[in-house]
Amino acid sequence: MSTISRRSVLQASLGLAAAAGLSRPYIANAAAKTASVWWTQGFIPEEDAGFEKMVADYQKVSGNRIDYSILPFVALEQKMVSALQTENTPDLIAYDGIQTTMVMSAYANKLVDVSDIVAPHEKDIAKVALQSMKLYNNVEKRRAYYAVPFKTASVPFHVWGSLVEKAGYKMSDCPDTWVERWNWFKPMQAKLRADGMRQIYSIGLQMTTNGPSDGNNLFHYWLLAMGGGNIVTPDGHVHLEDPKVKNAVIETVRWICDTYKGGYTPPGCISWNDADDNNGFHSKLFLMDLDGTISTELAMFHRPEDFNNCVTLGLPKGPDGKPSPAMVGAIGGMIPTAAKNIDVAKDFMRYVIEPKVNSDFLKAGLGRWAPIYPQQVKDDSFWLHNENPQLARHLTPYVEETLLGASYPDYMVYNPGYADVEAQQVWGQTYASVYKDGMTPEKAVDKAFKQVEQLLARYPTTA
Amino acid sequence: MSATTLEGAAAPGGGRTSRKPNYRRRRLWGEVGAVAFAIVLVIWTVGPVYNMVMVALDRHDDVFSSHVFPPDPTLNSFWIVVSEGYWYLEYFWHQFANSFYVGIGTTFLTLFIGSLTSFVIGRMRINGGWVISNLALMTYMIPASFLAIPFYLVMQYYDMSNSLWACIAAYVVFATPYAIIVFQQYSVSIPIEIDESARIDGASPWQIYWRLYLPLMAPALVAVGTFALLLAWNDFLYQFLLLSSKRNMTVSVALAQFLNSDEAPWNYMMAAAIIYSIPPIVAYYAFRRRMTSGLTMGGVKG
Amino acid sequence: MDGSAAQVVDVGARFDVRPRIRSALWLGLNRADAIWALAFLVPYIVTFVLFVIYPLLYGLWMGSKPSLYTDLFSDPIYQDTAINTLIYVLVGVNLRMVMALGLSGFFMRKSWWTKPLLILFILPWAVPALPTFLSIHWMLNGNWGLLNNLIWDVTGWNAPSWLDERSYALTSDIVAYIWKWLPFWTVIMLAGRMAIPRELYEAADVDGATGSRRFWHVTFPLMANLYLVCTLLGMLFTMGDFTTVYFVSGGGPANSTQVLATLGVRDAFVMSEPRLGVAAVMSAIPVLVPLVVLLMRRVRAAAVER
Repeated sequence: MSTISRRSVLQASLGLAAAAGLSRPYIANAAAKTASVWWTQGFIPEEDAGFEKMVADYQKVSGNRIDYSILPFVALEQKMVSALQTENTPDLIAYDGIQTTMVMSAYANKLVDVSDIVAPHEKDIAKVALQSMKLYNNVEKRRAYYAVPFKTASVPFHVWGSLVEKAGYKMSDCPDTWVERWNWFKPMQAKLRADGMRQIYSIGLQMTTNGPSDGNNLFHYWLLAMGGGNIVTPDGHVHLEDPKVKNAVIETVRWICDTYKGGYTPPGCISWNDADDNNGFHSKLFLMDLDGTISTELAMFHRPEDFNNCVTLGLPKGPDGKPSPAMVGAIGGMIPTAAKNIDVAKDFMRYVIEPKVNSDFLKAGLGRWAPIYPQQVKDDSFWLHNENPQLARHLTPYVEETLLGASYPDYMVYNPGYADVEAQQVWGQTYASVYKDGMTPEKAVDKAFKQVEQLLARYPTTA
Repeated sequence: MSATTLEGAAAPGGGRTSRKPNYRRRRLWGEVGAVAFAIVLVIWTVGPVYNMVMVALDRHDDVFSSHVFPPDPTLNSFWIVVSEGYWYLEYFWHQFANSFYVGIGTTFLTLFIGSLTSFVIGRMRINGGWVISNLALMTYMIPASFLAIPFYLVMQYYDMSNSLWACIAAYVVFATPYAIIVFQQYSVSIPIEIDESARIDGASPWQIYWRLYLPLMAPALVAVGTFALLLAWNDFLYQFLLLSSKRNMTVSVALAQFLNSDEAPWNYMMAAAIIYSIPPIVAYYAFRRRMTSGLTMGGVKG
Repeated sequence: MDGSAAQVVDVGARFDVRPRIRSALWLGLNRADAIWALAFLVPYIVTFVLFVIYPLLYGLWMGSKPSLYTDLFSDPIYQDTAINTLIYVLVGVNLRMVMALGLSGFFMRKSWWTKPLLILFILPWAVPALPTFLSIHWMLNGNWGLLNNLIWDVTGWNAPSWLDERSYALTSDIVAYIWKWLPFWTVIMLAGRMAIPRELYEAADVDGATGSRRFWHVTFPLMANLYLVCTLLGMLFTMGDFTTVYFVSGGGPANSTQVLATLGVRDAFVMSEPRLGVAAVMSAIPVLVPLVVLLMRRVRAAAVER
């Protein structure tokens, strides 16, 4: 191509530099266009209000229109799956739940590559948020960013500090190592029962197979704490023969089933649905649990007594002395390839991922979702030193756990087959093999591993 | 023939006088037994509903404590529902109207389509009418929740997702075969000569349908209409799949939102559910007699 | 085509008394009437094609990939799920129909309290499914549920947890399902009973048949067809029941009380594999088809009987 001269290259690169330098990462269109967006309904009205404000601001600066639908969780899941199946999709979908559809759609080449939106901010975004959106495309045989992250969450401990004290213990004595911490709570139920709380249990273990995520979260955090983090590696391959992994899983299953048999958790926990463990915590059926986000506490925001009596704890160290990693979930906006207004959708996501816009949006939601920019939480006092001291007690450990510690993304982003492992509640069934069928943890884990292998083998990855 | 005479005649060897007091005593015990059974039935029926009422009357903190009677009952939940005072209940009355819209739409369409079809099959007696009624029955070969997933996907193709009419279509499809069966059986008791003499008088099929058939079928129409209304009012899966925006939801779906949250005010949810149950009960009470007479004719004749 | 040629002519003649040539008969009617008939049938046919045929064909297409079935059958819970569905249908429906038949007799009583009792009895049918089943889920909770609280208060016995064991949970699902739909079928049975002409009962009384003999020799034979049709229809409805199991036992504990409908929804939406979900419910077809054929025969038999 002889027409490309040094001058034209220079002009082109100057032009690009100018565009970049203007740091206006979203385009103001002369011709206003519309994009349809499906967004998940928040847990509190403030989250929705924050979203609507963000949309209104975007429409003002860009001149585009966003035709949005705020949908409840489960409704959006179903609509999303059906839309992608029938290729009759909106332009942008932001689903707050488990990202099964996202990873499966990326695998099937049904999502638009949005690396260009992520790239300008890549060095500022938390590694785990990036990993969560870098998905494998089996048609193009490569990994790329198929969704734009904009919020994160993790699973902290929730404890009724008031009940701990009632049992004669002090929260400051709470152990800083994984297994010891869990075991520390066990004797408390006897003391509280002697004191008149007939129905109390020490721990709320979500051993259930009712979805969607509580059972899997519990298992994963234990797995990570016990050193089994490499069960699936970023290349999508599973490593069940790795002795560290195998041991971690076995010890997890063993501890959980022993605790159940020992009566330290309500027997009904094996059939809890998504709301039951929250109901249990709020009605003080048990002292502590490990549950996603701080929505448990935020739901009590307008009841100061409960809000203040509850304690949020981050993660302690694992048995090897190293900090236990968190499994961090990142939520992203994905654009189906079947969408009709891909440009507008991309433009909107460029706006959403802007640090300032993103920060305002998440702060409006009272901090139930954490940001994707670690520097932001360090710079903005809202996150680690909130002016409301009671909110800070919950928010600070939560944000630290989510963004400032060791973390793994959900394994399904490495291999979509793992999404099936979670959906089929393989780990929850493993507990049942032990406590119901009387298998030893080793045998139960062997059985589970066979199933995991089979599920992951259905989704080969070559990158 | 009086009862006592019969009893006396039937008794193998006893005289009349010795039968009477036994008979009365048996009847008394029978009545006592029936009342006892009725009480059991009441407890069985009301149990879960009582639990709902109890939760609705509970204060927020009491909902999951162990009690049989609400420790501190309050009507606050009902007030919140009625005044749309909670986030998930923002559009409660609008959603209630949606439920009515779906219910009444289903009812009318089912009655209209079902009666037209059974008129053609049963009164005009076309050849091959049995094909249609069998095809209709084949709808039941695919239980509702089986058809739900493809149905939902197809609604997207028709651009009818999040539309109340999609729900109405689904319910009409499931209620019409039942309607056809009931109408056909009921119409057996209406002599065909009525139609014939109307024909001789020069009436068109439409006039026969509209002026003769429908009025004579009134009890069956009421029976099927109530069935269709309750079907639409009661269903969850289709409304849940097909309706997603707050403005288009029906109450069943709105109630499902409570499952979203980490700490839902279950007392509000149960209060809303109780208010939602009132129309079907009223409908049943109003149409009860017509319903039973409409369901039978011909279903049992020997 | 039922009937001979002669019958065909006869049918046409009955509706339209003017004589005509057989060859001008369409559908057994004269031309003008045939057009009316077709016009009347159009609404149903259109509805049927758009909303039954197309989704059905789409569903069949979705479930047509053979590899889906290997995936389905290799799911460790599939076998138990299929068994659960069978138990749920066979036990649930038959138990319910027997209860409905018995209750319909009970509601024939002429006591003053029968009518109000019947109205109260309708309650389970009238209350919406979701909150009711959620309420039952809470009632059955081993720790703080109403049922065990009541049992404890009355007898001091710590009743077992009703949802934490497969057999108890499945039973709870069946009981909840019967609870909800018993009123509906009872009303139908009651209507059937009320249609039995009184003369038959009086004749039976003359012959000396009372009580249970009266039931077996008069009532039941007349109700038999209705009972059978209702049982078959009930089985078809129950095969697809989703709401009860989803909210009462949640398919637990440990996925041991899933039924095909709940498995289908899980596969379709939670595993984000709609085709697998359709395959799960399609796998019931071998059972569904004979049921429907039986049903069609029974309904036709009832029609022919007149």
